[in-house]
Amino acid sequence: MNTIRNYLDNMFLGLPDTEEVIRAKKELLTMMEDKYNELKDSGKAENEAIGIVISEFGNLDELAETLGIKHALENKSDILQVTYEEAENYIEDKVKTAPKTALGVLLLIMSPVLLLLLLGLKELTNVNAKEDLFIAAGLAVLIAMVAIAVSYFIRFSSKLEKYDYLEETVFELDYKTEYKTEQMIRGIMAQDEHSYKSAVSISVAGYILSALPVILTPLIFDIDGLSVISVAVTLTIVAISTYNLISKSAVNAACTVLLQQGEYSVKSKSNKTLQTVTKVYWLVITAIYLAYSFITFNWAISWIIWPVAGVIFAAIQAIAEQRS
Amino acid sequence: MISSDVIRGYIDTMILYLLLNEPSYGYEISKRIRELTDEKYIIKETTLYSAFKRMEINGHIESFSGSETYGKPRTYYKITEAGKMYYKEKCKEWEITKEVIEKFILREWK
Repeated sequence: MNTIRNYLDNMFLGLPDTEEVIRAKKELLTMMEDKYNELKDSGKAENEAIGIVISEFGNLDELAETLGIKHALENKSDILQVTYEEAENYIEDKVKTAPKTALGVLLLIMSPVLLLLLLGLKELTNVNAKEDLFIAAGLAVLIAMVAIAVSYFIRFSSKLEKYDYLEETVFELDYKTEYKTEQMIRGIMAQDEHSYKSAVSISVAGYILSALPVILTPLIFDIDGLSVISVAVTLTIVAISTYNLISKSAVNAACTVLLQQGEYSVKSKSNKTLQTVTKVYWLVITAIYLAYSFITFNWAISWIIWPVAGVIFAAIQAIAEQRS
Repeated sequence: MISSDVIRGYIDTMILYLLLNEPSYGYEISKRIRELTDEKYIIKETTLYSAFKRMEINGHIESFSGSETYGKPRTYYKITEAGKMYYKEKCKEWEITKEVIEKFILREWK
């Protein structure tokens, strides 16, 4: 009996573990065992019975079409294959680094906050300190926070570098474990869905609320210092919302990458121009933001570039997708 | 020994015939085919299974699980109304096929 089982195992070796394939294997085994038992009962020797069962089994090629395993049998895929372990490691590493990446972004957004507070307080209290001192202290903190954030990014991006191909190139889940892997990813995604959705709604609420301080303060109080401080409050709300969003969406983001959905779909990935444009676009926006802010010292206004850039980017993406 | 190319078009018909009166399962069907044909045609397991799947998709048979002697749940198949209709059509088709081919068969060599 073991010989029959081994024979069948060998025939099915390397086939995807889809539901259809598993069912087929089970039923074929039952049929073979039935035949074997009856041959034995009719007085055939063990070896003879096994020989007959195996010789009458047929060929898996016959099942290729019904089971959707043509591709596996022909085995001619030259697309990158991602194994179960790789997928699992990717999700794990993404989840591990997410809070740290989120912290880096939080530091980056919060970096001008102290500077703004000091500038605002100076206006309000009219203390007799030199303005330069305020600016120097605020700037020192700003640069320190940016430096910490950047070192964070470098550290974690080098850790996740080995997974870049998942985000950039078209791949397939390894056909041998495709079904199991996809089930695993979808399971994790479903489990996380509630936490992800509530994180998104909380952060979106935060983003909307964040506009209130900058809009309302100048309307209610006509004091320059307060307006500057209100920007600090807005930035803090934006920073916390973003932290929440990045740290809580890691699972969903990783699963989206693995299932090649949304911006990681095969279609988007094939669009190399859009990928390059995206990289260049955000670098240019960052350069403009830093240059403008440092030259004019209009930190109170310059942050507006981020929401505006975000909306423009969405428009660029939509146009690019339609063209391709 | 018959060539499987010839018989392929009528495997569904053979299975449907065996299911006309009562549901059955894989091995029983293959055994009855062997017995009915006096071992002139032995159906391969893969051929039978792919026929089951094809016929299920076409709606000619339905599967359900029942239990059998060894205590293992076994997949049973039963014929549907569409399957019966298809079977009747195939019987008619065979009559014609037989007639046509018959015209080209030489019985006596001169």
